[in-house]
Amino acid sequence: MTQTAKQYDSTEGMSEACANGLRNLLTACADTKLMLGYHYGEWTFGPPELEAAIAGCSLCQTELGHVRLLHGLLKRHYGADPVQLIEGREPAEFASISYLDRDLEDWAELVAANYVVDLALTRLLHSLKGSSFTPLRMSLEKMLDEERYHIHHGQGWFRMLCGKNEDCRRAAEAAMNRAIASVTEWFGPANEPEDEALVAAGVKSRTNPEVFEDLLADIEQLVGPLGVRIEVAQVGQTDGWNPATRRARTGGPSEHMLYHLRGSKNAVFKLKQ
Amino acid sequence: MANAQVYEVFGRKDHSEALKHVGSVNAADDDLAKAYAWTMYDEESWVEMCVVPRSAFISITHDGALPLWGN
Repeated sequence: MTQTAKQYDSTEGMSEACANGLRNLLTACADTKLMLGYHYGEWTFGPPELEAAIAGCSLCQTELGHVRLLHGLLKRHYGADPVQLIEGREPAEFASISYLDRDLEDWAELVAANYVVDLALTRLLHSLKGSSFTPLRMSLEKMLDEERYHIHHGQGWFRMLCGKNEDCRRAAEAAMNRAIASVTEWFGPANEPEDEALVAAGVKSRTNPEVFEDLLADIEQLVGPLGVRIEVAQVGQTDGWNPATRRARTGGPSEHMLYHLRGSKNAVFKLKQ
Repeated sequence: MANAQVYEVFGRKDHSEALKHVGSVNAADDDLAKAYAWTMYDEESWVEMCVVPRSAFISITHDGALPLWGN
C-alpha cells in the first residue's frame, strides 16, 4: 500500500467488487471471532490449569469485544443490524472458519483453535494495517495489540503439548492439521475477484493466499523444531467457493452453539430493540 | 515438557511511576507467562508490564525465603 493511495471514509467511490468484498471480509472476521469467543468462553471451565481458565475467559472477552467493533462498522457502512447478524441468520449463512462449527472435544483442539485459527485471523488483520478504508484502519491497533497475548497463549500451549508426551504431541499435530485445512478453505482460491479488488483499492496489502503463506511460515517456525509435520492443503482447490460464506460446501455453526450464542434460552428476558 | 515455574509480574500504569510488583503466575514457559500475566492482571491500563522467573531473582536479604503471601 502506498501513502498516496486513495483513502475511503466510507464505501462511496469503491468498485462494487471492493465494497462487496469489504462487507464479506468484515462479516467473516466478525463471525469467526464470535465462534472463537464461544469456544474460549466454554473452556473457561475444564482446562488443565487455573491460569489457562483465566486466560480463556479473557480471550473470550477480547474476541467478543472485537465482534462488537466489527458489527459497528457493518452497521455504519452497510446498514447491517448487529442483532440480526447474530440472531437472524441461518447457520449456513455464517462465514466463520469451519473448524469452529462444533464443540471442541479436548484441550488439544482448543489449543489448535487458539494457535491456528486465531493466528490466521490476526495475520489477516495485519494485512489491513494501513488500509485505505479509514474506519477499519483506526480500529486495528487495539485489536492487534490484544491479539499479541492470544498468540503467546497459543504458542506456549502448543509447545507444552508437544513436549509432554507422544500422545499429546500427536493430538496437537492432528488438531493443528484439521484447523489448517479449515483455514485454507476460508481463505479461498487464488485470484478471487473480491479479494483482488480489495488489494487493488489498498483496503488490504496482501491477497488471501499470500496471508495464508505468511500464516504457514509462522506455524512452521514454531512446529518444525518440535518434529510436528504440517499437511498443507493446496490453496485454490476450492471449487464452488462462496465469497459470502467463505466455504466451498454448505455448513455452519451447530444449532447447539447458536442457541447459546443467541441467548435463546433467555429470550423472554431480552430488552426490546 | 518444562515444569511450571513461578514468574513474578511487574507493571507500571504511568511512565512517571515506578515499576511495582503486582503478583505472580505459574507457567511452563515465557510465552505462557506473558499471556497469563496480561490476562490475569488486566484490571489496569499498564504502560509497561514484564515477567521475571522467580528463579532468576538474586536475593540480597533473606536468601531463598519465599514471600509470606503466597506461592
